[in-house]
Amino acid sequence: MIRVVSTFCVGLMGFSILSLYHVSEQTRVARQELAGTEKSISAERDEISVLEAQWQKVAGPDTIQRLAQSSLGMNDTTTVQLSSLTLLPRRGDEPLNNEPVRAASAQVPAAPAPVVRAAVRSGM
Amino acid sequence: MTPPSTVFQRRILIGAMICIAAFSLVGIRLVDVTLFNSGADRIKPAAPVLLSRADLLDRNGELLARDLPADDLYARPQMLTDKRRAAHELAVATGAEEQRLSHLFAGKYKSVLVARQLSRAARDKVSLLKLPGLEYQPNWKRYYPDGRMSAQVVGVTDLDDKGVSGLELGLEKRLHASPDPVVTSLDMRVQFILAHEAQASLEEFRAKAAGGLVMDVRTGEILGLVSLPDFDPNTRDFTGTDSGRDVMVQDVYELGSVFKIFSFAMAIENHNVNLDEWIPIGNGYRIGRYTIHEAEHMPAMLRARDVLAQSSNIGTAQIVLRSGPDRQQSFLRKMGLLAPVTSELPEGAHPLYPDHWGIIETATIGFGHGVSVSPLSFAAAAAAVVNGGRRIEPTFLKHSEDARGEQVISPQTSATMRELLRYVVTDGTGKKADVPGYDVGGKTGSAEKSAGRRGYQAHKLVTSFCAAFPIGNPRYLVFVLLDEPHGTKATGGFALAGYTAAPLAGHVISRIAPLLGVPIDPITAAKENSSNGNG
Repeated sequence: MIRVVSTFCVGLMGFSILSLYHVSEQTRVARQELAGTEKSISAERDEISVLEAQWQKVAGPDTIQRLAQSSLGMNDTTTVQLSSLTLLPRRGDEPLNNEPVRAASAQVPAAPAPVVRAAVRSGM
Repeated sequence: MTPPSTVFQRRILIGAMICIAAFSLVGIRLVDVTLFNSGADRIKPAAPVLLSRADLLDRNGELLARDLPADDLYARPQMLTDKRRAAHELAVATGAEEQRLSHLFAGKYKSVLVARQLSRAARDKVSLLKLPGLEYQPNWKRYYPDGRMSAQVVGVTDLDDKGVSGLELGLEKRLHASPDPVVTSLDMRVQFILAHEAQASLEEFRAKAAGGLVMDVRTGEILGLVSLPDFDPNTRDFTGTDSGRDVMVQDVYELGSVFKIFSFAMAIENHNVNLDEWIPIGNGYRIGRYTIHEAEHMPAMLRARDVLAQSSNIGTAQIVLRSGPDRQQSFLRKMGLLAPVTSELPEGAHPLYPDHWGIIETATIGFGHGVSVSPLSFAAAAAAVVNGGRRIEPTFLKHSEDARGEQVISPQTSATMRELLRYVVTDGTGKKADVPGYDVGGKTGSAEKSAGRRGYQAHKLVTSFCAAFPIGNPRYLVFVLLDEPHGTKATGGFALAGYTAAPLAGHVISRIAPLLGVPIDPITAAKENSSNGNG
């Protein structure tokens, strides 16, 4: 009986040793893979960081303005904000200045908005 | 009857019990740690060592500055077979000095620094050389996507990534405290417009320097601050007229007539003036052995409100003398003009004012001569005049709360000053700053530059314009400055602020107001457009 128990224990010990070795080996390989993955994540983060910075440069207002002028033939003009949402009459309210509300298309001036004059550089 | 145990048996028993106790303790602790996770909270991971600086962002999350990987390249000379060729090739690839590399490779150094902060492109070139014995040391280089546009206010770092100027230096601790980005109050759209318009004016009027800032008068946030000439923060090279000096923060100026804002605020606060009273102007106003003259021809009599609108020195001198030197000094001190302004920017300037503050000094300071302040300091004080009369500290960090502090002038005085500033734009020297629909109020300032003991130089001006909009309930203050502008054919040869600085402020406001969501007043827009002959 003692011999059987001893043999079983030795066998269990051997199995445990092999299992432990296998697990530790798997852990080592996994650690290596993790280190590799972490390194590539870090490299990708660096790349993203560089790309974000480059994007900021190419999408900056300076670049956009230069390209709009050179490629699209656009010129400086003043942004005219006709009104804000808060100033628009609500449903049921009296129209602004008691004037009838017209369709937006009917209010678009044929000539450029007169505010432009205030921003014209020459002659000031 | 069992025989008594021997000494050895007792010792073995004691030893066995000690072993069992020790293993039990270890076992219990193992179960405790593995199953119940006890004491895990006491194990704190080491604080991460931040090798790089945090990003700097504008108020909308746009990138202002970021550390990008830029490794240092080292070489082990003993591993290089052809040292001269290696020195030549590395010099070509990295931009390093070939002679220095040859000298170092020939020496007995174990490791030699070839180049610092290599760009990606340079690193790729070095890889193609396939030279042995090259090593990279991780490093960072600060990159500024907007380049010159925000160079003066954002500042730069040195080769060791330490801030040396601007917000990079002022926010040094904050940038190293956490990897989270630091959000500034700057708005790159406003900054771009300000830089673009200031550059255009600098060139148009052939000025020596130009600057501008946009400030939220309620929160104190600076949305844009530009100083020209500037420099390229990415190369850190100063070429031609490049300058690292921020004229808006580091320099002090006698700002001239724009200072009359404070003279009138003081007189109204002290009930020393009725805006509709008539004030004699004449050809000169004599105080002791000094005579005060006007910059331009003036009528014999002006109403007090027109003294400000037409920027009369003689009228202002008479009004300010009603308060006297002590009250004037105390008022300017209360407005924060006699002490350096504090902000996150490390740069600053001490205001200059006379030791002896007598009658003549009171009169000249009244129209902006005799006291020199930095434009940032002036803007902060002017913001207090229009924001309801409460002190406001400028800040370069984003925050949306109302940061107005103690009451320095009454709300009634502030309201009257807003009306007066609007009057200056509609009927005075600031007409060219008007933007239909945005109700701009402001004041011009044209100051002759001091020549030390030789007095003032009539042909060398510092022109400025301080504007607030919408003036009924101001949200933003724009202050622009031109150093030594020259008149053009379009201005009839005049270089005064009304012809140079006021239009610059108008251009800036017309472009930033819609972006900032300032509602246009359709009634004044229609009225002003029709009065311009366009409506």
